[in-house]
Amino acid sequence: MSSKPSSSTPPPSVAMGRRAAGVSGAVLRGGGKRLLPFVYAAVTIAVIWELVVVITKPDAAILPSPWQSAQTFAHLVANGELARDVYASLRRVLSAWAGAAVIGIPLGLVMGYSHRFEKIADPFIELLRPISPLAWIPLAILWFGIGEIGKVFVVFIGTFFPIVLTTVAGVKSIDPTLINAGRVYGCTSGISLFRKVILPASLPSIVVGLRISFGMGWAAIIAAELVAAQSGLGFLIANGMEILRADEVLVGMVVIGVLGVMFDSVFRYAHRRLVWTE
Amino acid sequence: MLESIGKALRIRGLSKTYFTRSGEAVEALCPVNMDIRAGEFVAVVGPSGCGKSTLLQILAGITEPSAGEAYADDTRIHGPSIDRSMVFQNYALFPWLSVRRNVEFGLEHKGVPKAERREIAERYLKMVGLSAFADKQTNELSGGMKQRVAIARAFAVDPSVILMDEPFGALDALSRRLLQRELLRIWQEHRKTVLFITHSVVEAIYLADRIVVMTARPGRIRSEIEVDLEHPRDNTSPQFAELERDIYAQLDEELTRSFGLDQDA
Ligand SMILES: Nc1ncnc2c1ncn2[C@@H]1O[C@H](COP(=O)(O)OP(=O)(O)O)[C@@H](O)[C@H]1O
Ligand SMILES: [Mg+2]
Repeated sequence: MSSKPSSSTPPPSVAMGRRAAGVSGAVLRGGGKRLLPFVYAAVTIAVIWELVVVITKPDAAILPSPWQSAQTFAHLVANGELARDVYASLRRVLSAWAGAAVIGIPLGLVMGYSHRFEKIADPFIELLRPISPLAWIPLAILWFGIGEIGKVFVVFIGTFFPIVLTTVAGVKSIDPTLINAGRVYGCTSGISLFRKVILPASLPSIVVGLRISFGMGWAAIIAAELVAAQSGLGFLIANGMEILRADEVLVGMVVIGVLGVMFDSVFRYAHRRLVWTE
Repeated sequence: MLESIGKALRIRGLSKTYFTRSGEAVEALCPVNMDIRAGEFVAVVGPSGCGKSTLLQILAGITEPSAGEAYADDTRIHGPSIDRSMVFQNYALFPWLSVRRNVEFGLEHKGVPKAERREIAERYLKMVGLSAFADKQTNELSGGMKQRVAIARAFAVDPSVILMDEPFGALDALSRRLLQRELLRIWQEHRKTVLFITHSVVEAIYLADRIVVMTARPGRIRSEIEVDLEHPRDNTSPQFAELERDIYAQLDEELTRSFGLDQDA
């Protein structure tokens, strides 16, 4: 397949973008309006990309046209390879992130509440936190090989610290009279105080931490899969590089970006719906 | 114990010294002795920083005294109890709960079954005129409404003592007058023992059976004044004005002393 179709007809995304912009006021509402900036950025990138291809005429193995890449995307969707890689990456991120939340949130709650416990735990966190999760990849491979555990471990490292730190900050920002009110109105045990006051009061910060850490986990899993994996979006782009398929690399990158934006908006939506304000 | 009969609160030699982070001692409360009868409405006035909140927090059981003891119904106060509820100056409503769930909060911890909880909350929200707001979030309410929810929350657990720390201090003058009248009506109906801290001398005279005037820090009891006026009290009456003058004179003296100006006086 040559680059002819792409140079003679405008990329379909451009045409769609124009149509969408024309009727935006009437048809697109709510979610559509929020999507518009992304559509605008994507269209701009596609146009510049197309121009670069038209002007410099690179080898398709180095830089294919947007149209070619779209066809590769359709192909990878059709043969199920993309779904398999998305599923593999997502499963690793979700399990590591959930594990980090299960351990990090209670730890952060106790650290934020008890000065004594904070003094014990905080030095470890401060010492380990500056080490990028990517720096753990070699050790993860040495310890766990290239199986699932090593990658989950790397993402765990990347998601754990932001969850702990935002939880601690959330607890520390609780108005002390709210805690007094909880105690006066019957939270006599530490457990009930945590459950009924401290946890709900710090929930807004915790949700922000979960969102930020998911983004970090999503970045970390791609890196881990670049180095050591047989599946996943990181594997897709690393493999594309090895077999000189820049189209596959580009498809992988676009999917990583689009999914990242989608997850983030799911979190924003959950935050608006679930979290109290003021 | 004979001396304790009919006394809802008994305070004996209660004092509190705080230690700041730098290790400096702050004497907040000098030994305080006080008795409060069941069903009595006592107001405490005093210069700011004289330990009024500290006294209330000790009685609530959320602060430990440095020395002395306090008894509620002959039981030594040790830790908070739902039998002594509290109204805070900044409302301290739980913003993640609806108005109704805020009022139910204490009942839940008392082990009241769900259906009954709902019914009680409804009754007390009606008492403060907020039935229509039961399912609102607290951030949709004005300051005066929030404090009414807090009052409903305090009465709903049916405590024997209600501790109020400058509950109307953050409200505008009109809301304040309205809430004073409402609190008085509710208190006359339920006859709870109330210990009420305020900066406002007029508010103290309008509401209380007895007014405790405290000295500047470290706080001691300077005087106790019985208010023998019929409710509703008219703040333009000569007796009201006389009391007001007397209490202001005492507070002025304390303020002068606390600024170290006594030699000029
Ligand atoms: N936790 C604390 N640590 C140190 N000092 C405190 C603390 N709480 C109150 N104080 C000090 O104790 C004194 C009395 O405080 P408080 O009881 O709040 O007074 P009031 O309510 O009469 O204004 C003040 O000087 C205050 O600064
Ligand atoms: Mg105070």
